[in-house]
Amino acid sequence: MSSSSSRRGSLPRSGEGEGVLARMSSSISQSPVVARGKAAAAEAGTVAKKLLRSTGKAAWIAGTTFLVLVVPLIIEMDREQQLNELEMQQSTLLGTPPSYAAAAPAK
Amino acid sequence: MGSSGSHAEDRPPATPQTPQPLGLAGILPPKTEEKGDGKGATEKVDWLNLPCPVPFEEIQREALMSLKPELFEGLRFDFTKALNQRFALSHSVFMGSMEVPSQTSDVIKVPSAHYEFGANFLDPKLMLVGRVLTDGRLNARVKCDLTDNLTLKINAQLTNEPHFSQGMFNFDYKGKDYRTQFQIGNNAFYGANYIQSVSPHLSLGSEIFWLGHQRKSGIGFAARYNTDKMVATAQVASTGVLALSYVQKVSEKVSLASDFMYNHMTRDVTSSFGYDYILRQCRLRGKLDSNGVVAAFLEERLNMGVNMILSAEIDHAKKDYKFGFGMTVGE
Repeated sequence: MSSSSSRRGSLPRSGEGEGVLARMSSSISQSPVVARGKAAAAEAGTVAKKLLRSTGKAAWIAGTTFLVLVVPLIIEMDREQQLNELEMQQSTLLGTPPSYAAAAPAK
Repeated sequence: MGSSGSHAEDRPPATPQTPQPLGLAGILPPKTEEKGDGKGATEKVDWLNLPCPVPFEEIQREALMSLKPELFEGLRFDFTKALNQRFALSHSVFMGSMEVPSQTSDVIKVPSAHYEFGANFLDPKLMLVGRVLTDGRLNARVKCDLTDNLTLKINAQLTNEPHFSQGMFNFDYKGKDYRTQFQIGNNAFYGANYIQSVSPHLSLGSEIFWLGHQRKSGIGFAARYNTDKMVATAQVASTGVLALSYVQKVSEKVSLASDFMYNHMTRDVTSSFGYDYILRQCRLRGKLDSNGVVAAFLEERLNMGVNMILSAEIDHAKKDYKFGFGMTVGE
């Protein structure tokens, strides 16, 4: 009897219908818990796929909207800042004080 | 009571002395009305000298300028040559897709190209603008100041197709703090509108129109409240349209605008937000819509008299993408 458990055979023992191991594994694999677990995993798989697709769509919409609305703004503001710096440099070079520097201490 | 020497100092002054205005303020006449910033109780409003309101059709001008740039798809090239101080000729080429309105929600684009020749004559009292296109359309606009307060405007568009031509005559009268306009158009269209300043910041107006061929008439009301920093307008019409808009000037170069439109007949609601950056070298306008439309319009000054235009419009709902590139040459 103890030797039957050491034998990892899948042959059903004619004497007892199915072996103890086969009965145990089939009872586990056909139990309601496992069935529900499998259904849940399948659902989780579909949900994950949908989530991935909608995240992809959202990322596309967010990315293209950012590209159209924000990137030109950043570029133009950077150019404006460069122009301001250039003007300040030129004004200090030429010796004319910029107008706001004269008005600021008067406030 | 005391010695006469100290009598004058003991007596408090009857009225508080206002300080002498410095510099330019001493030369200019004092302001009779001040733009209040919430503390309106201390400023005095001169109710007989209200400012003249903007014309009725320009009530939403700031919002329209910021939120509705002329987006296009394709290539646009404009060349304007001034022959005189008053007279200018213009040539314009457009190559690209034009959208054909369709009954279904599909977007139908038809590639088209045209060349437009135009002439402008600008006088202080008279303005004449004419445009001819290669697809057979003619646009003409006349604006004539008959007297100081009365202006005549004529707007005409003639096409090759029959029954598509339209023309409109407008008579504008500008009063001290009101404006009124009378319109006559073809298809027996008659309209009139009137707008009046009721306070230094608020002006109210109304309009009526009558369409002869379809025996339709309508009435509408509008209100506009503006201060130095913001403009808020509301417009209601009996055709079932409600339009609200708000523009806030955040700084010298930046203004933000938002707009809400409700159409009772078609149960259409649209809201949009936009920004308008007016920098030294460029003007950038961006807009986000509740219909899922994102648009941007950039005009950049490359050189003296040379402007580059970039236009982008992405419609996420209909998956429609329109990008345009253009140049404008001429002062």
